[in-house]
Amino acid sequence: MIFDWLPSVLIAIVLMLAVVGAVRRISLWRAGQPSPVNIISGLMAMPKRYLHDLHHVVERDKYMSRTHVATGGGFVLAMFLVLCVHLFGVDSKLLAWALLASLVMMFTGAIFVFKRRRNPPSRLSKGPWMRLPKSLMTFAVTFFVLTLPAAGILPDGTGNVLLTLVLSALILVSLGEMLFGMTWGGPMKHAFAGALHLAFHRRQERFGGGRSTGLKPADLGVEVHGVSKPTDFKWNQLLGFDACVQCGRCEAMCPAFAAGQPLNPKKLIQDMVVGLAGGTDANYAGSHYPDPQGKGREPGSAKGSPTEVITAGLVDAETLWSCTTCRACVEECPMMIEHVDAIVDMRRFLTMEKGETPNKGAEVLDNIIATDNPNGYAPGSRTNWAADQNLNVMRDVKKAEVLFWVSDGAFDMRSQRILRSFVKLLKAANVDVAILGDEERDSGDVARRLGDDATFQNLAKRNLQTLSQYEFKTIVTTDPHAFHCLRNEYGDFGSDALDNVEVLHHTTYLNRLVQDGKLKLDTFKGGTVTYHDPCYLGRYNGEYEAPRELLRSMGIEVAEMERSGFRSRCCGGGGGAPITDIPGEKRIADMRVEDAKETQADLIAVGCQQCTAMLEGVVEPRPEIRDIAEILVDQLIEEVH
Amino acid sequence: MSDIIRRDPRTEWIARNRLHPLYESVINANAGEVRGPTGLLRKNPHKVGFIGPNGIKRIDRLKGNGQGAGAVGRGKSSANEPVLALHQIEAPDFYIMVAPDLVGGRLTSHDKDVLGLAHKLCRTYEADERDQGRSSQGAVVAVCFGEMKEESLDLAGVDRLIHLQNDVFEGFAPEARLEAVAQIEQMYQPKHWLFPDSIHGGADLGSRLSARLGERPAVQAWQVDTQNTVCRGASSSIDITRATPRILLLLEECGDAIDETRHEAKALDVDAVEVSAVNIVDHGLMDVDPNAIPLAEAEFILSAGNGIHNWEQFHDAAKALGATEGASRVAVDDGFMPRFRQVGATGTWVTARVYVAVGISGAIQHMQGIGQCDKVVAINTDSGCDMVKRAALSVIGDSEEILEELVKIVNAHKGQVSPEGETLEKGSEHAA
Amino acid sequence: MQPNVISLVSIGRHPQSGRARRSEQDGRALELGLKLSGSHLQVAHAGAYDSTFSGSAEETVLRQYAGMGLKQMTVLKQSSDADVIPSLSHYLESQSAQVVLLGVRAESGESSGMVPYLLAESLGWPIVSRVADIVSIENGEAEVLLALPRGQRRSVTVTLPFIATVDNAAPEPRQTAYGPGQRAQFNAVDTPEVLDELRINWVEAPAKPRPKRLKVIKAKTAAERFKAATAKAQGGSGKVMKNESAQEKAQAIFDLLIEEKVIR
Repeated sequence: MIFDWLPSVLIAIVLMLAVVGAVRRISLWRAGQPSPVNIISGLMAMPKRYLHDLHHVVERDKYMSRTHVATGGGFVLAMFLVLCVHLFGVDSKLLAWALLASLVMMFTGAIFVFKRRRNPPSRLSKGPWMRLPKSLMTFAVTFFVLTLPAAGILPDGTGNVLLTLVLSALILVSLGEMLFGMTWGGPMKHAFAGALHLAFHRRQERFGGGRSTGLKPADLGVEVHGVSKPTDFKWNQLLGFDACVQCGRCEAMCPAFAAGQPLNPKKLIQDMVVGLAGGTDANYAGSHYPDPQGKGREPGSAKGSPTEVITAGLVDAETLWSCTTCRACVEECPMMIEHVDAIVDMRRFLTMEKGETPNKGAEVLDNIIATDNPNGYAPGSRTNWAADQNLNVMRDVKKAEVLFWVSDGAFDMRSQRILRSFVKLLKAANVDVAILGDEERDSGDVARRLGDDATFQNLAKRNLQTLSQYEFKTIVTTDPHAFHCLRNEYGDFGSDALDNVEVLHHTTYLNRLVQDGKLKLDTFKGGTVTYHDPCYLGRYNGEYEAPRELLRSMGIEVAEMERSGFRSRCCGGGGGAPITDIPGEKRIADMRVEDAKETQADLIAVGCQQCTAMLEGVVEPRPEIRDIAEILVDQLIEEVH
Repeated sequence: MSDIIRRDPRTEWIARNRLHPLYESVINANAGEVRGPTGLLRKNPHKVGFIGPNGIKRIDRLKGNGQGAGAVGRGKSSANEPVLALHQIEAPDFYIMVAPDLVGGRLTSHDKDVLGLAHKLCRTYEADERDQGRSSQGAVVAVCFGEMKEESLDLAGVDRLIHLQNDVFEGFAPEARLEAVAQIEQMYQPKHWLFPDSIHGGADLGSRLSARLGERPAVQAWQVDTQNTVCRGASSSIDITRATPRILLLLEECGDAIDETRHEAKALDVDAVEVSAVNIVDHGLMDVDPNAIPLAEAEFILSAGNGIHNWEQFHDAAKALGATEGASRVAVDDGFMPRFRQVGATGTWVTARVYVAVGISGAIQHMQGIGQCDKVVAINTDSGCDMVKRAALSVIGDSEEILEELVKIVNAHKGQVSPEGETLEKGSEHAA
Repeated sequence: MQPNVISLVSIGRHPQSGRARRSEQDGRALELGLKLSGSHLQVAHAGAYDSTFSGSAEETVLRQYAGMGLKQMTVLKQSSDADVIPSLSHYLESQSAQVVLLGVRAESGESSGMVPYLLAESLGWPIVSRVADIVSIENGEAEVLLALPRGQRRSVTVTLPFIATVDNAAPEPRQTAYGPGQRAQFNAVDTPEVLDELRINWVEAPAKPRPKRLKVIKAKTAAERFKAATAKAQGGSGKVMKNESAQEKAQAIFDLLIEEKVIR
């Protein structure tokens, strides 16, 4: 062959360019803030994380997971062999055959990608992603032909100048996509950034079946609080944004997107990519942010650069305030991107630096600061609900088996019904329980999700200070938000108040009591029951089973909603969303009640006062809404002593 | 009680007719007591009472005063009020000045309380003097500015009246009024200056006078005697007990209004007040669009809920009525009204005097938010809803139809009174 | 010409918790000041500034004010039992202020609302109270909207320099932001201190709930007293109209509105 050297040279050149691109890309990420990760062990763990953790998420869509294994696996193998065979000229029939096999595998996968792309669902991005299957096939075919001589199927030197030139052109096209595009921002970037993201993920605990959902504390007293511009993110957060494969699973799960609020998690991450690399969103080819108010932002009008303020032109503040922090997007993201972290980071800037928490946000924060509860009630009236409950107060007893964390439901008449039910159950089971009484303060959940981490940290420290004075083995709370804060977020403040203390949600605790036979329950006879998983109990803390087991113990066969368990749809009450109140086309709570109606349920069982309030706010007729504690109390068989 | 004994022809007629079914009861109405043979007054239990309309024997303990079988129904006369004693002061030895707010030319209940307190102080000083063996009489002087419509100054306890009616005191003229009170201070050297601590100008004038005289007033005072005064402080969270100063800014219900005496309300002279440089010029009241009034402050709210289908009409109605618009949470959630219009515990707590709820059934949060409203009118299709239970007037029916009629009536009414102000006059007189 | 505006702020008190906070009206005064002169606004507070200041509730509150967008704030050093008038008037004169904004009444201390009047008297400036907005400042005159009850407004012009107390009807203060508040600088100024001697003799106690005045009935006869005591306190359920024509129903509503004088 006349231009025998040509393919190798081309491969080498593209590879060189790819390496340059990689260095450039890495430098973009490194512009972010330092975040300590162990480089070596991260890289070592990466393959396992891909095969186990990432694949676990992809596996939810069997079609896609098989396609990806074939295509991705085939490509990685093929690329490695291509380098051996064609660049370094290792002369081995075995390798050549192996290369052929992997190319066939890759081609088969690419066919399925192609089929998928013929009529893609709306959540998938179009644009460059539409040509990806073709590039994949081109790559497979090109190198297949190119490898035939090496495998001995065709004699060496087969083909003429024309063929060689054609093949060379195809090499350029396919490698351009696969290698050059990988580091210069093409669709294949996801493989490069995604792999590194797995290695250097900010929440290493998530791998291997772990759970890491608590927000990281903001640094206080620094020049800028929160994230104002892309370089204020941690470097591995930036890396995470680049890992996005634009599969749109987050978009399909996002309650705010479905309600027509101006948030689309996928677009948000892509805007972050625009920010970190500089440019506009003109090339973005997926669904945009819903635009309920008809502001009509043109695609391409979002501009950003690593050093420009994000909310000044790249992302509207309303987009950030639409999030309910329900974590459905994070749960669903195959690349394990942390959308909620990013959103709260940017909210911190808006609240702590700009003072622009929308609607009732400012008022609520002022109240929390001045009265330790979001509605500005007198702190001294926190225990009024329990006037007739004969509950021990920690200040008097100093020590109890169980500390009941009442949370701000204490001020709300509807939530008080839940609290009373729970107390009745505890008493029926003879639990040694005490409350903090007026010493308790807001857990800081709302302040933190609204971006005011200073207030959150203040509350957390004061609460920990109070807790450290008393002795107890378990904290139980009926509020999943407080539960999450106590369990996952209070640990960052260097207090030993919660060491060796088990923090439990009331459904978990009640379930234990029932399983231990401490509570006797009657059979429930009240029609169909469905169960709504609170985000902060389910996705944030992995408790899906205890509430269901409790319901089962009353003989209730839960009529599951289509979206339940880890895919449960938010009630719309998290993350301060009812406070910031960004208008959409629908209300999230309405959609959730629709979900429930589809199961023909007469009763929606809930494990959260916030969910109860949100769902009960839906106009009747709708199923009745009750906390599990309330249902239990009605079925309680009280023993006469 | 009337002095005229009225005849009841029907009772008389029954008493004459022994066969009349009511004869027995009419005759026995007052016959419960008889002289016994020994001359003692005896009660015949059988004769006490009468058979009521439902056949049950009833005892009339009102002794004919009630409406029971009233042989002589005495008509009540309201026209004939007793003439109250006149509190006369020939030559006052000291004065207590009161500067009432006179909102709309009339004494407010706050003003009357302050006047009442002035008299209480007056009496105490007089008693103290008496204890010392001296006789002294004080007069309560009302210092009034501008238009005066109040007709019963005498009944409110005004012994003397200084009424300054001049262009310079009209409207908002704090500087001119300050000069006037300062001059009065010089002329009469009153024992006290009392002002209602109100947003109608009393607090302002009182503060100005205090600053001018360099005297520390007691502000937000609510318990006052000649020695000590208790004031609220630190946004009403503490009570400050202190010696009673000469200038007092008084809270509502600081004293009891005068109601048992009449007073002279005799004019007192003041030399012409010289008003030097005026730095504050009044340009009158602004025309305020009812919808620009913050919901919490609005006096008259037309509020829309789930039951409204014709929103155009609702907005027109609000405009025609001159009402501030409100909304229930559902109406806001559905996007028909902006969030800041939401009434209720989760929205705005309103204080309107009149609250018209159209198509709002009344969720608990909403009812909490209208807790302070005086008169609630409900327009609703469901007569069993909570809003109807709360309302002073409920109208069951289609809101669209009723609003349409209401707008018609209001427009007709406006056409009638368009040469402005006439009905206002009538209306307020009627109420007063 | 940019007017020289000074906003005075005090330590507020939350009505429910009693904790120190940004005062409602002073916050509005600061907001109005920011509207009038933006970053040129000067803000002053007269109060304690000593070794205990750092980390105190006062500092937190002042930083809340500063969090509305102030780079710096003046603290006129005064002890807690001082009469702040001499200090403030001295400061205002030295700064040749043209517009001085502050709340109607402090939320802590005596809250007599006399500070603005005493300042006005000692400086010889006019004072307007209960301002809802300052529309314009031109030719040595300011157009001011005064707040009247029930959302009504009065338009007034006042000559510079003047003092204005800001009513709750003025625009709400912007949200305070943590970051800028923490970074703001305090300029502590020594000013003449005069002890408030009168106040020392006062007795302060937590507020007693005021008895609500009952309807006083001066009845002459037993029957009248009986009737007064048993008469329904007005209310019960109201009138319900069901079957009347729409026209009649509307008329009934209209009559009520006329009676209540909300329609004129």
